[in-house]
Amino acid sequence: MGEHQTRRLDATLGALSDPTRRAILARLARSDARVTDLAAAFPISLNSTSKHIRALERAGLVRRTIHGREHVLALDAAPLAEVAAWTEHYRRFWEERLAALDAFVTGGAKRPQRRRTR
Amino acid sequence: MSSTAVVDKLVVRRVIAAPAKDLFDAWLDAKAMAVWMKPGDAERSDVTVDARVGGRFEIVMQTQRGPIPHRGVYEIIDRPRRLVFTWNSPYAGEHGSLVTVDFLARAGGTEVVVTHEKLPTEVAVGQHRGGWTEILESLEANLARKS
Repeated sequence: MGEHQTRRLDATLGALSDPTRRAILARLARSDARVTDLAAAFPISLNSTSKHIRALERAGLVRRTIHGREHVLALDAAPLAEVAAWTEHYRRFWEERLAALDAFVTGGAKRPQRRRTR
Repeated sequence: MSSTAVVDKLVVRRVIAAPAKDLFDAWLDAKAMAVWMKPGDAERSDVTVDARVGGRFEIVMQTQRGPIPHRGVYEIIDRPRRLVFTWNSPYAGEHGSLVTVDFLARAGGTEVVVTHEKLPTEVAVGQHRGGWTEILESLEANLARKS
């Protein structure tokens, strides 16, 4: 994992650390929405909603399209997929270590390794 | 997406045809760990172990990209059933993620279960467990409808 990727991951995790922002993402996962729709859906001010949305945009989790006076927001799942890939890194690490432990304790890699089901 | 859903703890298991005590001891023996705690891209791992509760371990994986240190402290040593230690690394973070290793009797061997918790994901999400999974589940449902 490169440094750039780690920084981007930090930005994603930072944006996700707030419950209101997670709720906004969960709402956008159902369908695109206007800023005013989101402000109406949450018990916070329009100003406060806008701040959360800007934080999500900076993290690349939300994209904004402007149609005339309407600002429509859409979820961008790519950074979330990156987080998933990162947990996969650990999963692979421990799977490989347990395979190596198996080979070490049972005396070598005689047996073919069980394939991972995906 | 469903195969890579974000989790706030990792559980990896493997049944190994060996007695629990042999497997357990391999987790606390520096010479053994130098062999099996060495990823494929590492030339070697330098391991020091102080195998008692409160004792420290260090595994420095010497890779082509440079040394990758992993350090921690043993919290539970219950031979040959359970081993719990903190785990700090450049990837897992330096806040003391927690690894629990359980050794369960199974027909023909022992099931080794590694549970890795308090990864940075979970720390960032804080007490709001499930926050992730909610988002990703609705995201998956959304993608499934579109496809």
